Amino acid sequence: MSLTLTSGIAAAFGNGRRRHMPLLVGSAIMALFLLFSLIPGIFAPYDPLAFDYMHLSEAPTLAHPFGTDNFGRDMLSRVIWASRVDIQIAIFCTIFPLAFGTIVGALTGFYGGWLDAVFGRLVDLVVTFPFLVIVIAIVAVLGPGLFNMYIAVSSVGWVFYAQLMRAGVQVQKQSDYAAAARVLGYGEARIIFRHLLPNAITPIIVYWMTDMALAILLGSSLGYLGLGAQPPTAEWGVIIADGKNFMSTAWWISVFPGIAIIFAGVGFSLVGDGIADIFRRRN
Amino acid sequence: MSGDAGDALLSVRNLRVAFGSPQHPLLAVDGVDFDVAPGEVLGIAGESGSGKSVTLRSILRLIHPPGRVSGRVLWRGRDLLTLPEEELRRVRGGEIGVIFQEPMTALNPVLTVGLQIRENLKEHTGLDAAGRRKRAIELMDHVGIPAAQSRLEDYPHQFSGGMRQRAMIAIALASNPQLLLADEPTTALDVTIQDQILKLILRLRSEMNMSVILVTHDLGVIAQTCDRLAVMYAGRLAETGPVAALFRQPRHAYTLGLLNSVPRAGQIRQPLASIPGQPPLLSKLPEGCAFAPRCPFVLSACREAPPPLVEVAPDHRSACLAHQALAKA
Amino acid sequence: MDAAAPLIDVTDLAMSFHRPRSVLDRLTGRPGRIVHALNGVSFTVMRGETLGVVGESGCGKSTLARCLVRLHQPEAGHIAYGGIDVLRLTGAERRAYHRRVQMVFQDPYSSLNPRMTVRQTLAEAIAFHDLRAGAEIGRRVEELLDLVRLPSDAAGRYPHEFSGGQRQRIGIARALAVEPECLIADELVSALDVSVQAQIVNLLLELQGRLGLTILFIAHDLRLVRHISHRVAVMYLGAIVELAETETLFTRPAHPYTAALLKAAPEMDPGRRSVIDAVRGELPSPLAIPAGCPFHPRCPYVMARCRAERPVLADREPGHIAACHLEPGHKL
Repeated sequence: MSLTLTSGIAAAFGNGRRRHMPLLVGSAIMALFLLFSLIPGIFAPYDPLAFDYMHLSEAPTLAHPFGTDNFGRDMLSRVIWASRVDIQIAIFCTIFPLAFGTIVGALTGFYGGWLDAVFGRLVDLVVTFPFLVIVIAIVAVLGPGLFNMYIAVSSVGWVFYAQLMRAGVQVQKQSDYAAAARVLGYGEARIIFRHLLPNAITPIIVYWMTDMALAILLGSSLGYLGLGAQPPTAEWGVIIADGKNFMSTAWWISVFPGIAIIFAGVGFSLVGDGIADIFRRRN
Repeated sequence: MSGDAGDALLSVRNLRVAFGSPQHPLLAVDGVDFDVAPGEVLGIAGESGSGKSVTLRSILRLIHPPGRVSGRVLWRGRDLLTLPEEELRRVRGGEIGVIFQEPMTALNPVLTVGLQIRENLKEHTGLDAAGRRKRAIELMDHVGIPAAQSRLEDYPHQFSGGMRQRAMIAIALASNPQLLLADEPTTALDVTIQDQILKLILRLRSEMNMSVILVTHDLGVIAQTCDRLAVMYAGRLAETGPVAALFRQPRHAYTLGLLNSVPRAGQIRQPLASIPGQPPLLSKLPEGCAFAPRCPFVLSACREAPPPLVEVAPDHRSACLAHQALAKA
Repeated sequence: MDAAAPLIDVTDLAMSFHRPRSVLDRLTGRPGRIVHALNGVSFTVMRGETLGVVGESGCGKSTLARCLVRLHQPEAGHIAYGGIDVLRLTGAERRAYHRRVQMVFQDPYSSLNPRMTVRQTLAEAIAFHDLRAGAEIGRRVEELLDLVRLPSDAAGRYPHEFSGGQRQRIGIARALAVEPECLIADELVSALDVSVQAQIVNLLLELQGRLGLTILFIAHDLRLVRHISHRVAVMYLGAIVELAETETLFTRPAHPYTAALLKAAPEMDPGRRSVIDAVRGELPSPLAIPAGCPFHPRCPYVMARCRAERPVLADREPGHIAACHLEPGHKL
């Protein structure tokens, strides 16, 4: 991110006029879930796998703020431990598309020509189908599980990053500093990756944030369908699925992981929006 | 420059335009006074940040919040800054016309030029549809657009830069304005086209006895078109007076510096007498004269308070404490 | 090397840009439109001199500049630099050429990478061409900043922290970082305030004196060009119409377009005003260059020959060439 952006973000966290509340709140939420995923043991009051036959399907109480499920497992601990999986999903579903899409987009945007034509057709293909449908189709072929889900999502998701980077690079390519780099004799690789890419990266970062929110939603949807994380792995979608048969008797089993999904999603989106806002302001 | 406000067509008094928060205002225009007589071409010259464009736009209340405009703009006895919207609409585009720097953004790209002229005619004259069409063709012809009739239904993008500027002038003239505000009208044009447009404006001024306020940074344009000149620096007036007098003997250090920055013939490859440094940020104006940090004639009094605009010769005012020294130079 | 041989020798340079055909064009079988940016440009530049190039929109001066630094590959013609055929260079030889000829750009707001500090920008150029190593690079950066009269604390700052004039100085420093012999200034000061223009022009003159630079000064401001150039070339619709020593061109122009440009440029003397347009008509677009002499539709001296036959650049007097059918000596 450019200096303008980093200093803008720094100011957003400060106490001055340029404080950006949504960014602050979103970052706090993200930080919280990050902590949950890194050191769940510190936050979870109970062992998420421990059955407690004394407290089966108990409604939320002080001892169990999120209640217990039909095996007596503390829901709060389960939800916290599941953060690890869902944050992992957020990262692994997006990091490969980000990297690959950025590179392909940069090359396509710079060179154009037949590379761009091929890319264009690929985009047309992907965009025609609803994202969820393609992912489910691929998972259906490869078999359920987190790893296959990552493959499915990545093989299609990179296209959106590539589009953003392509557009950004095409714009930056027209600028005089890009011409100056060519006149200084710099090679194309250097120009693309050291000069153009960094100036086009901000929309990608913003998109990445919202993509992570979507990845969590996607992961939990697949988990709910039994195509993503497989039980006994605690993943919010899986937990919701576990509780779906008890909606009328033990609603808390499904509702709290659902709230966690929304919370996490909102956190990432706020951060993405906040960065976009600051970028817009600075420009 | 401000004689009896009674004989002037337009009288601006103590115009102030502030941006930013009320605790820390940025004064883009700080206490500007000037008059425009009937049939006169007044030039407002300055560099970036001088406030010349903001001054022009505030005359017709084209400055929007967060800008805050105060002062008086007397047009034929009425203060435009306090006029009710409806009456201001009659003045804008009617009694006072405006042309801008970039015709492509100032003209509506999805309406034909003919329609835009006829719109103005409809708003500000009593002509019927046939009359408007005829007048539109006349106007386009008058501003030098060839084959005017066939070009009525063309869109702005189908005109070249110079022609678009002429179209903008035609729209502005449709209502027979008594005053034309021109904000850098030729800055974006090539030299030969600029020459045509400026001469056109002067011709129209004579024919219609119209006054013009011309905002520009190009001193050559001022020299060739304006009767009087107001030089602005950092939102304040530096010097005002007849163009010939200012060019012959500037009485403000900034005006002198500006004139010297322009190469004159016969000085080939000699260093130009440039003004060191750059114009101040409006948020960091010095206590005294805004030009003091860069001024080769600076006195200690200059740094204490902004010098007032005083009359240094008939009809010639300067806000420079060193104006005497400059007169002898 | 022969001291009298020109440093830059351009012959018959031609360059067009092909506009992509719209759907409508394809359907109606119309050929794509071509912008003829350069139509046979020839001139020379001697070592150490400043050649001014003036012209209005569509004259091709920017395209010419970009061909000289190899940003565009011309379709025809030759560019020889120090006797070497520039257009065929590749690889290391091409990089060596880029060290010798550098360019400074018009727009101070887009000509510097917003994400690199001044030091990073300059150091990259120095390191890439192996001009210095290690700690020497930092010292060289300071030298360059000093050369363009920027304070040394400028090195750690980003472009957006500087004014337009300062950014142009940084651009000059970047160009000088590779120790070029020749500098191409494409509208270097056009986007700056008048008082800042004067500063930058002074800097350029000083640098030329100190470093012995050859300069190609492209501008539309005639006064500036007159002030700084040894010789001036006037371009119109992709060709040079006149080239002469500065004062000769400005006092005894041989081409009607040059005369028109001089008349059109607003004079600084309020006492001398004219009501007549300097030249009639619009600037033709390089998409549709008039036949014969490109200037004939607007020329006050047009003859039948001008509509049919394109004039070639010919000597009027030693060192003064013009492309016009009028007899030499005709007072314009």
